[in-house]
Amino acid sequence: MDHTLLNWIIFIPMMGMAAILLCPKRSVGLIKVISLVATFIPLVLATWLYFVGFEVGSPAYQFQFMRPWIYSSSEAMNMKVNYHVGVDGISLPLVWLTTLLLFIGVPASFGIKKGEKAYYALLLLLEVGIIGVFVSLDYFLFYVFWEIMLLPMYFLIGIWGGPRREYAAIKFFLYTLAGSVLMLVAVIALRLETGTFSIPAMTEIAMRGDLLGTKLFAGGMLLGMKFTTWVFWFLFVAFAIKIPVFPFHTWLPDAHVQAPTPISVILAGILLKLGGYGLMRACFPIVPGAFDDFAFTLGVLGVISIVYGAYVALGQTDFKRMVAYSSVSHMGYVLLGVAALTEWGANGAALQMFNHGTSSAAMFLVVGVIYDRAHHRDLNGFGGLSQPMPVYWGLTTLAFFAALGLPGLAGFVSEAVTLIGAYNAGDPRFRVLVLISVIGIVITAAFLLWAIQRVFLGTLNEKYKDYPDINAREIFCQAPLLFLCVALGILPFYLLDWMEGSVEHWVSSMSQAIQIING
Amino acid sequence: MEYWDGMKAIAPELWLTGFALLALLVDLLTKGRNSRTVGYVTLAGLGVTALALMGQSERVTAFGMVEVDAFGRFFKLFTLAALAVVCVFVMSDRRERQHGIGEYYFLLLGAAVGIFFMVSTNNLLLLVLGLELLSLASYSLAGFHKGNKASAEAALKYVIFGGLSAGVMIFGISLLYGLTGTIDLAEMATLGGEGLPRGLVSQLAASPIPVGIAVTMVLAGFAYKISAVPFHFWTPDVYQGAPTPVTTFLAVASKAAGFGALLRFLGVMFVRGDVQGLVADYGGQVGLLIAVLAAITMTVGNVSALGQSSLKRLLAFSSVAHAGYLLMGVATMNNEGFSAALYYMAAYYFMNLGAFGVVLYFEGVNGNDHIDSLKGLGRKAPLVSIVMVAFLVSLTGLPPTMGYYGKFLLFTAAIDNGMTWLAVIAGLNSAISLFYYFRIAKALFLEEPSDESVPRTQPIFTGMLTAFGVCTVLFGLYVSPIMQWVVSSMDLLG
Repeated sequence: MDHTLLNWIIFIPMMGMAAILLCPKRSVGLIKVISLVATFIPLVLATWLYFVGFEVGSPAYQFQFMRPWIYSSSEAMNMKVNYHVGVDGISLPLVWLTTLLLFIGVPASFGIKKGEKAYYALLLLLEVGIIGVFVSLDYFLFYVFWEIMLLPMYFLIGIWGGPRREYAAIKFFLYTLAGSVLMLVAVIALRLETGTFSIPAMTEIAMRGDLLGTKLFAGGMLLGMKFTTWVFWFLFVAFAIKIPVFPFHTWLPDAHVQAPTPISVILAGILLKLGGYGLMRACFPIVPGAFDDFAFTLGVLGVISIVYGAYVALGQTDFKRMVAYSSVSHMGYVLLGVAALTEWGANGAALQMFNHGTSSAAMFLVVGVIYDRAHHRDLNGFGGLSQPMPVYWGLTTLAFFAALGLPGLAGFVSEAVTLIGAYNAGDPRFRVLVLISVIGIVITAAFLLWAIQRVFLGTLNEKYKDYPDINAREIFCQAPLLFLCVALGILPFYLLDWMEGSVEHWVSSMSQAIQIING
Repeated sequence: MEYWDGMKAIAPELWLTGFALLALLVDLLTKGRNSRTVGYVTLAGLGVTALALMGQSERVTAFGMVEVDAFGRFFKLFTLAALAVVCVFVMSDRRERQHGIGEYYFLLLGAAVGIFFMVSTNNLLLLVLGLELLSLASYSLAGFHKGNKASAEAALKYVIFGGLSAGVMIFGISLLYGLTGTIDLAEMATLGGEGLPRGLVSQLAASPIPVGIAVTMVLAGFAYKISAVPFHFWTPDVYQGAPTPVTTFLAVASKAAGFGALLRFLGVMFVRGDVQGLVADYGGQVGLLIAVLAAITMTVGNVSALGQSSLKRLLAFSSVAHAGYLLMGVATMNNEGFSAALYYMAAYYFMNLGAFGVVLYFEGVNGNDHIDSLKGLGRKAPLVSIVMVAFLVSLTGLPPTMGYYGKFLLFTAAIDNGMTWLAVIAGLNSAISLFYYFRIAKALFLEEPSDESVPRTQPIFTGMLTAFGVCTVLFGLYVSPIMQWVVSSMDLLG
C-alpha cells in the first residue's frame, strides 16, 4: 500500500516552485534551469512508472499511497478524509502526458520576457494541481487539487496573455468555479450518503446498487427527481464545462486566444482531459443508473460538440481560435465514445484523450511559432509561407493531418475506434449519431486543409519573405509530440495495452451495475 | 465565600476592566506624548486576560448570571486575539495617533468587556447590558475622527440603527419574560410547572404565536449585530466612514460576538440535549426562518458587493455575505452546524483581519481605499499583494485555505440537515463572490502601475500580515488544531 513514487511526481514540481521563489528575481537563467529540472524529474519518474513499474493489463489501482488526513474525535465533525493516490490504466497515460507537456512547456516559454520568476513558479504549481487530480483516489483530495489548478491558470492567462487577457482569465475562472461548486455540493451529498470520500469505495457501493439517497432524502427523491440523477447532473456539468461540451464551451475560445502559447498548449493538451477523465473516474461509475438513463443525451451532446465545433472552426479567421474550436470538436468524440459504453468506445475515448493531447498541443505550438514572427494570427493575412519556412510547413502539415484523422497517424486510430465502438452500442440510436458525426470529420478536414492553403500556399506576401524557419528550440518542443502522433498511429497498442485492462474492467463493471440497478 | 468564587470566575472581565482604566490613566500621565505606551499597556492587558481565561477549566455559573464555559471562552479568546490585531493596526497607522489615543484604547477594551458578558450569559438582562456596552463603545469608535464628516455620519447612522434594533430586541425579551416569567434562558427552556417560571414548552403549547413574535424580535437584535439582511443597511456606510482599525473591529470582533450570543440564545432555548426533543419542531421552524435569512443575506451581500469601487465598502458587503454563510450553520440548529459555524468564525478571523490589514496598508500607501489605486501594486509591494491573494482565495472559499474548509463544513451541515437548496445557493454565491474578490487581484497583478513610486516598507506590519496569510493556508490543510478547539468548545449543548 505504500509506494511513494506518485508523491514525488506530484510534489517535485512544488519543491521546484519553492526553490524558484527563493531565487533572486534577476537570475532568470537559474530560474529556467530549476523549472527544467523540476519538470524533467517527474517526466523521468513517470516514464519509469509507465514502462517498468506498472503492471500492464491489470485493472487495479497501482502504486497506491494512503495516509489519514482529516479525522476528528467528534463524531459529527469526523470527515474521514484520506490522502490517497494511485494510478490505473486510465490515469497513467494522462499522468505521463502531463509530465511531458509541462516539460515541453518550459522551453516553449523561453520567449516570455516579463515576470519570469512568477511565471515559472505558477507553471510548476499548475503541474502539481493537474497531476494531483489524475492520481487522487479520495474525492476530497480530488476536489482540492481540482481547485488548486484554477489559481495559477487565472494568473498565467491574466498576466501573460493577449490584449483581452483580463476578460478571458476571469471568464475561465468563473465558468470552472460555477461548475465546481456544483461538484462540491454533489461530493458532500455523496459523502453523507456513503460515509466515505474514497472514490473506489464510493464506486463499489454505487455498483452494488446501494446508492439511493435514502439517508438524505425521503425515498431518495428530491423535487421529483432521483437523488442519483441530481448527483449525475451536478457532476456532469462540472466536468462538461472543463471538457468543454456544447453548450458549456464558450469560455474556451477566449481563454485559448488570450493565453500565451505554452499555456494554450497545456490548456488544450491536458486541462481539457481533466473533464473527460473526471467523467470516467468520478462521475459515471458513481451514478451508473443515471448514466444509463441519459447515455443517449450524452451521445447527442457529444455529436453536437463534434459537428458544431468543427463548423464554427470553419468560420474562424483567427488561427488560434480555429484550433481552439477544433478542440471542442475533438473532445466531442470522448463523450460519444464513453456514452456508448462499449469496450471499443471507451478505449477509443481514452485513446482520443491522449492523442488529442499530443495533436492539439502540437497545433498550438504551430500557431505560436507563426505568431512570434508575424505578431498576428489572421489566417487571411498570410500566404505562401511554405517558401521561407519549408520545415515549419512540413511539421505543421503533419500536426494537422494527425488532427484531421489521416490513416497512419494517431488521430485516425482513436476516432475510428471511438466511432466503431459507438456504432456497436446497445442503443441502436447511436448509429444515427455516428453517421452524423462523420459530417464533423469532413468539416474538420475542410478547415484544416483550408488553413494550410491560406497560410502556406498561394503567393508569398512580401512582408514575410525574410522570416527565419522554425528554430531548434521550437523543433525541440514539437518533436516529441509529432513523434507520438506518428508512433501511436502505427503502434497504438503501446497505449492500448496499458489502458485496456482498466477500460475493459470499467465497461464491464458499469454494464453489470446498470443491470443490477435496473433489476 | 460564594462572592469570592464568583469574582474569581469573572476574573478575566475584571482584568480587562482594570487595564481599560489603566490605559486611560497612562494616557493622562504621558499627556498623549507617547501614544505607543498606551498601546503596549493595552496589549499587556489583553495578554493577562487571555492567561486568566486559559486558566479557567471548570464550568461554573457566577452570581447566577455569568456562565463560565468553553463555548464562551472560544468567543472571548477570539475577541482578545482580534483586539490585539486591531491594536497593532492602530499603532502602525500614523493617522490614528493624532487624536486622543487613550480613549481609543479605552473604548476598545470597554467594548471587549461588553462582548465578554454578552457571550457568556444565559440571563437576557445581562445579555442586553453587554450588547449595549459593546454598542455604545462602537458608536463612539465609529465617529472617532471628529473632524471627518464621513466618520460622524457613520457614527450617527450606527446609533440610529443600533437604537432601533436594540429597542426591538428588548421588546422581544420583555414578551418572553411576560410569557414565561423568567429572564434566564436555561429556566425558560424547561417544561415549567405550577407557578413561575412557566417553561417555554408549555408556553409553546398554549400560545405559539406570541412566542414566535418574541423570538423573531430578539433575532432582529442579533441580525443587526451580525449585519444580516434586512438589518444590514448601516454596514457599508459605517465600515467606510469609520477609521479602518475600527472597521476591522466591527467586522471581526463585534460580528463574532453577535454570533456567539445568537448561538447561545438558540442553543440553550432549542438545541440543548434535554430540551431538544420537546421543542424540536419549533426549533426546526426557527431554523428554517434563519435559513431563508441566510440565503437572502448572502445573495444581497454578494450582489451588492459587485459594483463597489471602495475597498472598505466592498469588504463591508462581503462581510454581510459571510454573515449569510455563517447563518447557514446556525440554521441547522444542531451541534454539527454550530461547530461548522465556529470553525468558519476562526477562518473568518484570519482572512478578514488579514484583508483589512492589507487595506490599511494600501490606504497608507495611496491615501485612499479606491480599487483603481491598487493598480500595479503587485509589482511594487509583492509580498503584501501575494498575501492578499491568499486572503481573497480564502474569502472566496477555494482550497487549500481555511475559508474552503469552513465552507465545506457549513455545506456539509446544511446538506446533512435537509437544506441542500441552501448549500446550492451558497455555492453559486461563492462563484459570484469570486468576481468581485478577484477584481482586487486583477488590479494588483493584471494591470499596469500608474506611476513608479515605491511604497514605504513596514517590516513588522508586513510580517504580521504574512503570518496571517500563512495561517490561512496552513490551517486550511492541517485543520486538526482548530477543529479540536472547536469541538471542545461546543459544551454549550451538553
